[in-house]
Amino acid sequence: MMNDFSSRFALYWPALIDGALTTLWLCVIGMLSGFVLGVLLHLMANGRSRGGVACARVYVSFFRGTPMLAQLLLLFYLPSALGVDVPPVVAAAAALALNTAAYQSQILGSGFAAIAKGQVEAASVFALGRYNTLLHIQLPQVLRLTLPALICELIDVIKVSAVVSVISITDLMRVSQQLVSQTYRPLEVYLVAGLFYLLLTSLLSVLGSLLERRWRERC
Amino acid sequence: MSTLPLLELRGVGKSYGTNRVLSGFDLRVQAGEIVALIGPSGSGKTTALRCMNFLERYDEGEIWIDGQLLGYSGTGRRESDRDSEAKVDEVRNPLSMVFQQFNLWPHMTVRENVMAPLVLGKKIPKAHARELADQALARVGLSAKADAYPARLSGGQQQRVGIARALAVKPRLMLLDEPTSALDPELVEEVLQVIRSLADDGMTMVMVTHEMSFAAQISSQVVFMEAGKIIETGAPEPLFQTPKTERLQQFLKPWFNRSLTPRTQAAPNPLEAL
Amino acid sequence: MDELIGYLPDFLDGMLVTLGISVAAAIAGLILGFALNAARISVPGFTAIYAIYVWLIRGTPLLAQLAVIYFGLPVIGLRLEAVEASVLSLAVYSGAYFAELFRTAWASVPGGQLEAARVHGISRARVFWHIQAPQAMAFALPLLGNQVILTIKESAVTSVITVPELTMTAGRIVSTTFSYVMPYALLVLSYWLLTSSVAVIARSLGLRVTRHLRG
Repeated sequence: MMNDFSSRFALYWPALIDGALTTLWLCVIGMLSGFVLGVLLHLMANGRSRGGVACARVYVSFFRGTPMLAQLLLLFYLPSALGVDVPPVVAAAAALALNTAAYQSQILGSGFAAIAKGQVEAASVFALGRYNTLLHIQLPQVLRLTLPALICELIDVIKVSAVVSVISITDLMRVSQQLVSQTYRPLEVYLVAGLFYLLLTSLLSVLGSLLERRWRERC
Repeated sequence: MSTLPLLELRGVGKSYGTNRVLSGFDLRVQAGEIVALIGPSGSGKTTALRCMNFLERYDEGEIWIDGQLLGYSGTGRRESDRDSEAKVDEVRNPLSMVFQQFNLWPHMTVRENVMAPLVLGKKIPKAHARELADQALARVGLSAKADAYPARLSGGQQQRVGIARALAVKPRLMLLDEPTSALDPELVEEVLQVIRSLADDGMTMVMVTHEMSFAAQISSQVVFMEAGKIIETGAPEPLFQTPKTERLQQFLKPWFNRSLTPRTQAAPNPLEAL
Repeated sequence: MDELIGYLPDFLDGMLVTLGISVAAAIAGLILGFALNAARISVPGFTAIYAIYVWLIRGTPLLAQLAVIYFGLPVIGLRLEAVEASVLSLAVYSGAYFAELFRTAWASVPGGQLEAARVHGISRARVFWHIQAPQAMAFALPLLGNQVILTIKESAVTSVITVPELTMTAGRIVSTTFSYVMPYALLVLSYWLLTSSVAVIARSLGLRVTRHLRG
């Protein structure tokens, strides 16, 4: 029985690795784009334009108050209704990015708030300009402060990304579905797929703990 | 003919809601002058100082830096009338500032702190900026700490870095907001020494301070404020020796010890008591 | 547009199913989480089981867990209906989160109080129910509402195994009307409405219950 399993596992392995890699890079792209978007959202939420503040609040409420799957479906089918053909991968990356941006804006927001106001005043007095102040004074410190929490968010993104299988993207989840239809061994395949996810999230979790030991935040 | 003042404030005022924290503030600062702003807490002296480089937006009067109007283009003084940040930066370019809380950037080394306004603010190439930074650090006696991070420095050293940073941009006028108020007493003197040497070299300064004897020694003009208004102003000697107003006399009492030395017959010279 | 209005009752049905399985799962999960935390505190050696459970459940996607339960369990003889599998899976999933929530809540009660109780001979069980639980629950209440919201959102994946909840309903309407955007737009709005309402209710409930603590 063990021999059978190990020979089947040799079958599963390359496909699952492929799926895991797809999941990983999709999530990383989503996370990075979401970071940029999250910074913008934070700036809008704390800016001087009342419309901007309202927009940011609505955005965060919407993306945190609705399921990822529903957001994904809407974003996938919306362009086709407008006549634009968007490949599923792009829709998936966009959905992940837009979703995580809402959460990241809150995480980053607490990082921004932790920087003493005087530092920004000094930057303004010495004519650094808003862009330089953001890039050279605020973001380096915000990242240092929020990295453990951001890693937590990446773990969440990886878990939530399983729904992209619904629009036929061959991520880890979809690969396992395909393997099931080939091997008719759902319990085994899905358990192994689960272990793959567990490995991904656990590694990240360990990374987060290491960083958390240096800086205070926690998952 | 009188020369154009480097910094001029005419009838400057500021309110927070219904609270008028500054009103009718007039000041003229010529190159080479050193102005000390003194007064009790809440007198508006820090607000006045922070208006001078538009850290606070004044809503009444005019502030001229080197002949240019600061912060506004016309006569409107509302939030919507304020100039763009680029324009404000342009007008307040000749000024720099030293902060009470130092406001160094903790993730940068001492040298990087001093270089940042040069590289990011004045767009000076890094190599040249590094030279200027090292010169400024040498000027305040902190060359040895150039690669250290601010957290490793004492309060006095951090403030000297703040002064170096304000110095490296070669300002024509330096604003100092209670530069020694956040320091432990034994660290105050090293900072005052640096400021004194800058004054000796002819740096134009406007300084808010509680160090009365220091103010008396280096300033060319003293402005006493209370409740947002200028109460008395003049050269240090007459102002400290014979304060004209009752309020200034009250304020200067702790430095005269009149009440503590009743045996002294002659009226003590306040400058000596300081 | 008119035919979409005709589908509103279907949306309502879907919403009821979503609420039904979410609430059922949340209640089951709450009890499970509470029990897990209580066992962690009182049963020696249970901490390891607790830690493994939380690690497994929180480290893998709900969709994978759902697949194991619905598609995998029949292999060992346990065949569940879609709705049953969904509620079970959601309960197991939320149970881990509730357990952690309760763990944090229990940890928020200052240790000194427990020491004071123990030295006065109050049994561990009584300490748990009469000293820790009231304070911990007050701490936990606002967070419980949030977990219910999370369960509602997670319930969307059960559409994948054809549970007739909101997302499945929207998909069905899409395939019969061939209009894509409106149904899915209505879908997200429905969830938004659900979660916002729960948030408001939870907040006002939470405020009322903790009134005695806020002097």
